[in-house]
Amino acid sequence: MKKLCIAALSVWFKLTKNLTGWLLPAFLIVFWEIAARNGWISLRILPSPTDIVHAAINLTLSGELASNIATSSARAGWGLLYGGVIGLVLGLLNGLVRPADRFLDTTLQMVRNVPHLALIPLVIIWFGIGEEGKIFLVTLGVFFPIYINTYHGIKTADPQLLEMGRVYGLGPWQLFSQVIFPGALPSILVGLRYALGFMWLTLIVAETIATTSGIGYMAMNAREFMQTDVVVLAILLYALLGKLADTGAHLLELRLLQWHPGFRNS
Amino acid sequence: MSLPVKQISVNPLSGSKPGPVVEMLKDRSKPKITAVKTTDPSTVPGITIRLENLSKHFGDLQVLENLDLSIEPGSFIAIVGRSGCGKSTLLRLISGLEQPNKGTVFYDGKVHNKLNEDVCFMFQEARLLPWHSVMNNVRLGLKKNQFPKALDALQQVGLETRAEEWPSVLSGGQRQRVALARSLVHEPRLLLLDEPLGALDALTRIEMQSLIERIWLESGFTAILVTHDIAEAVALADRVIVLDQGKVDLDLDIDQPRPRQRGNAQLCQLEAEILQRILTAPDASETAAASD
Ligand SMILES: Nc1ncnc2c1ncn2[C@@H]1O[C@H](COP(=O)(O)OP(=O)(O)OP(=O)(O)O)[C@@H](O)[C@H]1O
Ligand SMILES: [Mg+2]
Repeated sequence: MKKLCIAALSVWFKLTKNLTGWLLPAFLIVFWEIAARNGWISLRILPSPTDIVHAAINLTLSGELASNIATSSARAGWGLLYGGVIGLVLGLLNGLVRPADRFLDTTLQMVRNVPHLALIPLVIIWFGIGEEGKIFLVTLGVFFPIYINTYHGIKTADPQLLEMGRVYGLGPWQLFSQVIFPGALPSILVGLRYALGFMWLTLIVAETIATTSGIGYMAMNAREFMQTDVVVLAILLYALLGKLADTGAHLLELRLLQWHPGFRNS
Repeated sequence: MSLPVKQISVNPLSGSKPGPVVEMLKDRSKPKITAVKTTDPSTVPGITIRLENLSKHFGDLQVLENLDLSIEPGSFIAIVGRSGCGKSTLLRLISGLEQPNKGTVFYDGKVHNKLNEDVCFMFQEARLLPWHSVMNNVRLGLKKNQFPKALDALQQVGLETRAEEWPSVLSGGQRQRVALARSLVHEPRLLLLDEPLGALDALTRIEMQSLIERIWLESGFTAILVTHDIAEAVALADRVIVLDQGKVDLDLDIDQPRPRQRGNAQLCQLEAEILQRILTAPDASETAAASD
């Protein structure tokens, strides 16, 4: 009996430990709902949480929601792929090959100082409002954080480990694959997490300015009809997708950096 | 008590530079090696080393100056000296990690100027790859068909049960044992040790010393140990060399039977002698130079 009590208590503690973080948001949502119902906030300014849930259900049933999320995710995904690959390759190249570094670094630093969102008018002229322009912008936004972190990771490879590798007869490829790259991986993954932030940010701006589909388009369209519930839903979706991408990157870190004392999940 | 002290002359021509064969036949201490001494040098477990006129400077700083030294195959040499006197530099020159500004390193009578697979280097830090398991660290640089040797080496250092763990969970002493195993799988003919036990506590250190001694006795490689700990030097080495101002200041044979008892009166006597020499070294080298 006593054992049972203790077990129940410990389960309760575990649950509450995980739940305490959610207490405040839950309270705020309840307060928000009450405020909206009693007319303390105008529905034009902020819809009630239940309105948002209704909007989500309606849009899901009509299939609009899924197709817009798919469109936005595809843009984000392709941009991330292109930008990531270019950033990684250039980062590796400049980190490993001194002449390439001297040749390219100035150019890349200049490119970095152009805010890529300032290119939107030009991008619309070049690509119109099709997919290419948005993917191009996301690529630009994603490229730099990946590049700079890869480069940094390679440059800070531990000279003592490199020397050890030479003593044990590792060739250039083995030095790269066993010593330099694994050592740069934590830094590259930090770059990835930054890149994911830039990815959504770029996409949000690009989709609100020039599109005919996607989550941003959905929000802009709703604005014209004063459907604040859909607008807020779109914002929440961005937040959710951002969080999802970040969690994915974190899981990747846990998986690839198991050796790292800072990432051991036990 | 008189010590077998050998003063190395500054003039390279007057120093003793016998050929490798003569050098090998000159009996030092280990009868175990004499049995194979007459065969082809490459089949002898240990490498014969000869340093001729070795000089190294970094900018204006002259670290080693016209250094001559001969080391018999299979012997255990300890190098001691003040911090910054060039012990690590000497070891790096011998290994081929760095090039001398002047002079030559000979292995078995042949010029040696780059790293090769006969030589292994143990550093003060274990230098394990943190992203490889203990086992994969030991396998570093091996071909697939040699992988079974890694387990043997881990058994030799008593860590076979930790093979699948990350290096970061091991203690400092265990990491150095893994590093030792990683050297041993390559079956080195020359093992260079740059203060590998410097960061360990006294007890672990003594254990590691006996481990190194045991493995050296079993395998017969030539060992050169750089250390700050003179007790360690006299406990392990056949011969202790004191470096000072870029030269060999003292070259002392330790003719004590193995296994050596720690705290043995004669070893303590030798230790005190060497320590005295290092502490008074600047004067000694000046007089040596003056009398030349
Ligand atoms: N790559 C280098 N560039 C410039 N100076 C160096 C370099 N390597 C060593 N030195 C200098 O050479 C001298 C000898 O260094 P070394 O590392 O060989 O000393 P050490 O005898 O091993 O000292 P310790 O016992 O403290 O390890 C030092 O004064 C050091 O500053
Ligand atoms: Mg040193």
